Amino acid sequence: MAGTEPRQSERGSGLVNDLDTESAASTRIERLYRRFDRYVYAPAAVAYSDLRTRIGIAIILCFVLMGTVGVMLVEPAGMNEVPPFQSPFQSAAAPLGADRMGQPIHSQVVHATPAMLQMALAGIVFSVGVALSIGVAAGYKGGIVDDVLMTATDILMVIPGLPLIVVIAAIWQPEQPFVVGMILAIDAWPGIARMLRSQVLTIREANYIEADRAMGVGTGEILLSNIAPQLMPFVLINAAEAARQVIFASVALYFLGFLPFSTNNWGVIMNLAYKQGGALSNPGLSGHWLYVPMIALTLFSFGLILFSQGMDRVFNPRLRARHAKTVEQTEEH
Amino acid sequence: MTTTESTLQSRRRSTNRDPIMTLRDVTVTFDMPRGTATVLDSVDMTIERGSVLGVVGESGSGKSMFASALLDAVVDPGVLSGNITYYPKNGDPVDVLDLSEERLKQFRCEAVSMVFQGAQNSFNPTMTIRDHFIETLRAHNRDPETGMQRARELLSDVYLDPERVLDSYPHELSGGMQQRSLIALSLILDPAVLVMDEPTAALDLLMQRAITEMISDLQKKYNLTVIFITHDLPLVSSLADRLGVMYAFQFVEQGPTEEMILNAAHPYTRALLRAVPNLDIPIAEMKPIEGDSPDSIDVPDGCAYHPRCPLATDECARDPPPFSDVDADHVVACYHWEQAETEIPYSLEDGGEE
Amino acid sequence: MNYYAKRVGQAVLTLFTVVTLTFVLYRLMPGGPVEMMQSRLIGQMEASGQAVNEQMIDRMVNLYTGYDPDQPIHVAYYQYVRDMVLHLDFGQSIQHQEPVFDVLFRALPWSVFVSVYGLILGYTANLVLGSIMAYKEGSWFDKIASVGAIFLNSIPYYVGGILMLSFLAYELGWFPTGGRYPEGTTPGFNIPFMLGVIHHAALPIASSFIVGFGGGALEMRGNSIRVMGEDYLRVARLRGLSDFRIATWYVGRNSLLPLYTKFMIGIAAIFSSSIVMEQIFRYPGMGWYTFDALKLRDYPLLMGVLILFSTVTVTGVLIADLTYGLIDPRATQGDREAY
Repeated sequence: MAGTEPRQSERGSGLVNDLDTESAASTRIERLYRRFDRYVYAPAAVAYSDLRTRIGIAIILCFVLMGTVGVMLVEPAGMNEVPPFQSPFQSAAAPLGADRMGQPIHSQVVHATPAMLQMALAGIVFSVGVALSIGVAAGYKGGIVDDVLMTATDILMVIPGLPLIVVIAAIWQPEQPFVVGMILAIDAWPGIARMLRSQVLTIREANYIEADRAMGVGTGEILLSNIAPQLMPFVLINAAEAARQVIFASVALYFLGFLPFSTNNWGVIMNLAYKQGGALSNPGLSGHWLYVPMIALTLFSFGLILFSQGMDRVFNPRLRARHAKTVEQTEEH
Repeated sequence: MTTTESTLQSRRRSTNRDPIMTLRDVTVTFDMPRGTATVLDSVDMTIERGSVLGVVGESGSGKSMFASALLDAVVDPGVLSGNITYYPKNGDPVDVLDLSEERLKQFRCEAVSMVFQGAQNSFNPTMTIRDHFIETLRAHNRDPETGMQRARELLSDVYLDPERVLDSYPHELSGGMQQRSLIALSLILDPAVLVMDEPTAALDLLMQRAITEMISDLQKKYNLTVIFITHDLPLVSSLADRLGVMYAFQFVEQGPTEEMILNAAHPYTRALLRAVPNLDIPIAEMKPIEGDSPDSIDVPDGCAYHPRCPLATDECARDPPPFSDVDADHVVACYHWEQAETEIPYSLEDGGEE
Repeated sequence: MNYYAKRVGQAVLTLFTVVTLTFVLYRLMPGGPVEMMQSRLIGQMEASGQAVNEQMIDRMVNLYTGYDPDQPIHVAYYQYVRDMVLHLDFGQSIQHQEPVFDVLFRALPWSVFVSVYGLILGYTANLVLGSIMAYKEGSWFDKIASVGAIFLNSIPYYVGGILMLSFLAYELGWFPTGGRYPEGTTPGFNIPFMLGVIHHAALPIASSFIVGFGGGALEMRGNSIRVMGEDYLRVARLRGLSDFRIATWYVGRNSLLPLYTKFMIGIAAIFSSSIVMEQIFRYPGMGWYTFDALKLRDYPLLMGVLILFSTVTVTGVLIADLTYGLIDPRATQGDREAY
């Protein structure tokens, strides 16, 4: 709102000499720090300031811990540790109840988590990786490359994911959680690729990119130093979405028995509850068997969604602190 | 762009005492977390029927708020107080701030109409220009047939091809065309007063000139009273009969255009005229106005201009100056306006173009 | 015109790709469908004491899948596609011993019925709720609805389905637990039948509703808020337009645009999800057959499911694409708001 005082030059030869934003005198370290500040630290600070991101990250961390440390702390479920179908909160050995064979449910859930995390990770890496390559290439190069890539993406986007996955599963019966994750990611990457491409299109038009190219800066360098950092928030949000989709789909498929049970999964637990425990018709008896993994699933996805929503703030100009491009400016407000 | 004395002389109009709108003590405040912001401060103004009033000021001086106040269209949560009266040609004076929702709706397009800054975003992107016209006509219970005839005439008056423009979507028209369509749209209900907020701001120089002349033609043809708000003093001086200079949410000087350009009284006005860029004068002699314009929450005591004024004295810092008469119809709010002429010289050389 | 031609062309290309994909899958499977069928047929023939005849095996494989292992690849491909497109011959289902097309075509309308209704209802709810939330931005309604929307979005549709099935069907008995229409009613345009159909479809539709509803309300709210801050809204109000007109033609129409892509993705998702949903609700649509087909490795049926689902989705997306031009006049000129 304040008008800026025009800088008076003594010699009157113009104001250009006095523009001093990124003067040549700053060292490489300073430039790197500025870049870090602008692209990593400031967005992270803005994102973190949002309650949703914090809760989301907390939830996600819980599950990650459960799948890594928890596995070591909790004993794998053994049969008849407690009476069959025991309700939750009855005993310390099975705080979340037990199934038909007396196995505590909480340990089953915990021990299925690593496989699920692997699946989610594979799904993220694969879907975001492919989407990033295709989206950025299409967006940046434009022209024929763009047309071809986007047509392929559109085609894949329209083909319904689950039937395709079912067909593939029928043929190959994947067992490795990583492979399962990869297959499930097929459904997710087209949407992400589209989104990244439109972002790249917007960024590409920026003046400083044009300046870089005019100066002869190589494509690789432009991509890495300018475009990639700005895509980071989107990538993170889409990674969370991809993870959520993969997990949803996997639980569904395992629950219905579409995939072999040799892989551990919350859906497997739910399937057994349904088939062997009659959980649907008799919730009083075996409801907990079915619902505990279900709640775990809902909670995990809730965390992922919160995280995405919170990250949304980073690049949404209306929600973000005004012009907060660096941390100092953020703190001012 | 500068004007010469000869062009100014052609603008001399006799002031007839026939006001179409008067504003008395009009104030707009906003309650903000930091404090109460006063964006329009006890403004008094009389607008003569059939004249062109130019309102000049820098960004953030309250010009747009003044425009909004004329239509009682100050955005929430602003509070508009004071007295705004409209004198229709036939009929009783209308207290604008006292109108009911219904009557206000009528008032807004049929008596006083406004053209916003930035026409690019004034149209619904999913509707054709024709749709906009018909929609407005229907909303005010006018016959679409006759209305559209008038629309076509208006579009020709603004040098647009009616058939082509009517069937287009906003994004298919250039910036200048959108601006002119917007002007035509605002005249569709035959208002008496047209308020234009920076209508030429987003346009190139040639376009600016053209639009200003076009407005002058429109004004003559339809007997409009035009209120032209801008930061570009030289531009409006070729069009306006009277000028009002705003600073820090108040008028600091008002008077006939010719008077004010040749013999500006207020130090701010004189500094503005001196600051107009000119190809012939060496850079060293061009003087921008030092300092910043005040924050709406924290206006300086006394005369709001005193921190930046070379003539300021203690008196200026203490009490806001009342309006003094420089001449008939020419008033200024300054204690030291008589010294301004010698202290702040300026000249009106011809620029390269005219 | 160019826009429309492009869209139709893309739809055709997509279908073509799917068909080709199934062909490729048939062909390139190591230890895959063809060999499996070959070994199974060999086993069958040996069991019934017949001599193993290579040619006959191949012919039977061809009968079931439409793919003839005998022929060179381009000939086989041509025959495969020709049979499918011209004769609607999708092969023979191994488990049902009927042409795949017949089996699936019976079930197709039911799947479409349940899925499409659920999607449309869910989507409309999105728009309405999002608009109301934007209108009442900041109020307690908005806050609660936002949290509710996020929560609903985290619940997978099948979880919702399971819960509904368990409580509303099994426990409370308000809804049936399976089937398309009640026993004892005769199909036709009679009231008991039609009511029964609706009764049975209610829960599946409600579950589809969740699929359609996910996340859209919040996005609609965001869009509406953004649009409400636009200049042309203020101008519209000053021009004296009625609130209703502004709410629908100005705010509604402009906020709607970015959600169209989501809607199209939703079309793909809804048919996808019907595989899961029909299992849960024991509703014999196309998804229902998929499960057994998977278990029994009934590849022709599976491929048929894939192709038919794709066809339905492609058609739906095409319709959406063609109508998008009606809402956003910029679309036909190549610059879509949605992407």
